[in-house]
Amino acid sequence: MSNSSHGPNHGLHHGAAESASYQLEYARWSKGRNALMLAALISIVACIAGYIQDPDRFFRSYLVAFCYTSAIGLAAFFFVMVQFLSGSAWSVTMRRFMENIMITLPVGALLFVPLAFGLNHIYPWTNPVIAKATEELRAKSDYLTNHFFILRTYGYFLLLSIWIFAIYRQSIKADTNRSIWQMRIASRWSAPGLLLVVVVGTLAAYDWLMTVEPSWYSTIFGLYYLADGTVAFFALLILICLAFRQAGVLQKQINIEHYHDLGKWLFAMTCFYTYMAFSQYLLIWYANIPDETQFFRHRMPGTWLYISLSLPFLRFFIPFFILISRPAKRNLKILGVMAAYSLVVVYLDLYWVVMPVFYPNGPQIHWLDFATLGVTVSVTGLVFWSRFRRHAMVPAGDLRLEQSLHFENA
Amino acid sequence: MSQTSDPAILIAQIKDKLGIGDDKVYAVMGEFSEPEDLVEAGRRIREMGYTKIDAMTPFPVHGIDEAIGIPYSKIGWIVICGALAGITTAQVLIYYVGAIDYPLIIGGKPLFDFTYSIPPTFELAVLFSAITTFMCTWALSGLPRLYHPSMNYRSAHRASDDRFLLVVEADDPKFDAQKTAQDMRSVGANDVEVVEG
Repeated sequence: MSNSSHGPNHGLHHGAAESASYQLEYARWSKGRNALMLAALISIVACIAGYIQDPDRFFRSYLVAFCYTSAIGLAAFFFVMVQFLSGSAWSVTMRRFMENIMITLPVGALLFVPLAFGLNHIYPWTNPVIAKATEELRAKSDYLTNHFFILRTYGYFLLLSIWIFAIYRQSIKADTNRSIWQMRIASRWSAPGLLLVVVVGTLAAYDWLMTVEPSWYSTIFGLYYLADGTVAFFALLILICLAFRQAGVLQKQINIEHYHDLGKWLFAMTCFYTYMAFSQYLLIWYANIPDETQFFRHRMPGTWLYISLSLPFLRFFIPFFILISRPAKRNLKILGVMAAYSLVVVYLDLYWVVMPVFYPNGPQIHWLDFATLGVTVSVTGLVFWSRFRRHAMVPAGDLRLEQSLHFENA
Repeated sequence: MSQTSDPAILIAQIKDKLGIGDDKVYAVMGEFSEPEDLVEAGRRIREMGYTKIDAMTPFPVHGIDEAIGIPYSKIGWIVICGALAGITTAQVLIYYVGAIDYPLIIGGKPLFDFTYSIPPTFELAVLFSAITTFMCTWALSGLPRLYHPSMNYRSAHRASDDRFLLVVEADDPKFDAQKTAQDMRSVGANDVEVVEG
């Protein structure tokens, strides 16, 4: 059990010899790729069938699925930059996983294409009759137009992609040249990047989700959406690490201490989400202005009420009291279950944000919900997986890797 | 007084003769110049059957708690009691003041509602937890304290500089000044001393 700060020579020994072993075997990689390809093909075919059968339903489900994977990508992007800026050592062994989730965000530009053709199935402001009849919509008529909406979304993806590729490139470069400069350049990009991701994420949440109810206002909604993403991101990261562990890969490199910290993050982000969700609710409740209260009014009829009332328990009380304990976070079974659970409830939350507008009397679960989620998850999954073909699974050139391998919770 | 060649014991005996220092033995202490050696020695000392082991280091040394068998802090359980006390206080206070003692309708809101009572409740839970943590940390560590017997150790001041100290306290059931000093040396400690105080 050697100490972290006392091994300057240690790190250099590893280098090339070790980075070869951080490569995923081709046989394993191609197996994973085939499985994801198959999932993508099946779900795409299912979605095409669903689109022909019921285009309205397809676009509504697809919006939830698209926002779900985009939220995870945004959160991954945010936290990769946080790792660079804070110079974190604990996270180095799983930073490549984070980066590979981050690089799935630009593919959102491709996933958005179907939505671009189906705006009039989702957004009421695309209907000229409604747009003219409502006062709020008349005021927003210059902003909420099909072309400008699509242009904005591609603007978001363009900006995000520039930053994401710039940072990813530096990280990959550092694998081979082991230079501190790559870390420095990545940090330079990261500082303005944090600002970018929050501003763009907020605007994207307003566009994609809030304009489903275009007369509703909530300035905190962008953070609400991003907070959802952060919970799902850490949950996904834990599951990915556990899946690799199950397959016998990186078992030593990502050990109980790292899982403990990932668990802390999952716990912290659960609280962060609650903070955002409750702040939004409190202000709307207090002001009691129809423009704002309609959001909760639309989520009260029928079975939606039960979901609305159970969300505080599902999203806060249950995960909070389970994850607060140290032994729970250090138990991989409990942590894995809680991660999977968090992924499900985040999806439920986005579903609850979008669907009551279309189905006011209660959720109507449709097979297209699963098929559309299958498309966005398998396509982003393919992008994630494709990175392992060429690049190591661990940023082997990072100077803090040795420190990360011996990291322990005090 | 038995004859011994152990310098640590001899020094203690000389101190006794000169009448300086306390008769009461506090511990056997030794020092290491590398944290890894301290952790390794701590583990070996523990394997010899000692239970009252302590370590003094200039910075947190990973793995030392586990090596010398220091249990995980129980302070979390105390703090959650503080938090629950804060939650109860806030809820009762807001309910009593707003709904019983001086009922006043403000902004058409109910006299008591969880929605607006949660922010102060949260604040009070945090405040009570923080105060509990602070007080309990002091109490459990026996602070404030101006004197500690370990200060009688020759290299005690180096524990805040460049040395890592290992301590086997005298109330350890297996403690025997001469034998323990030998054990300390056998695991590689330098400057082993029987410390009184």
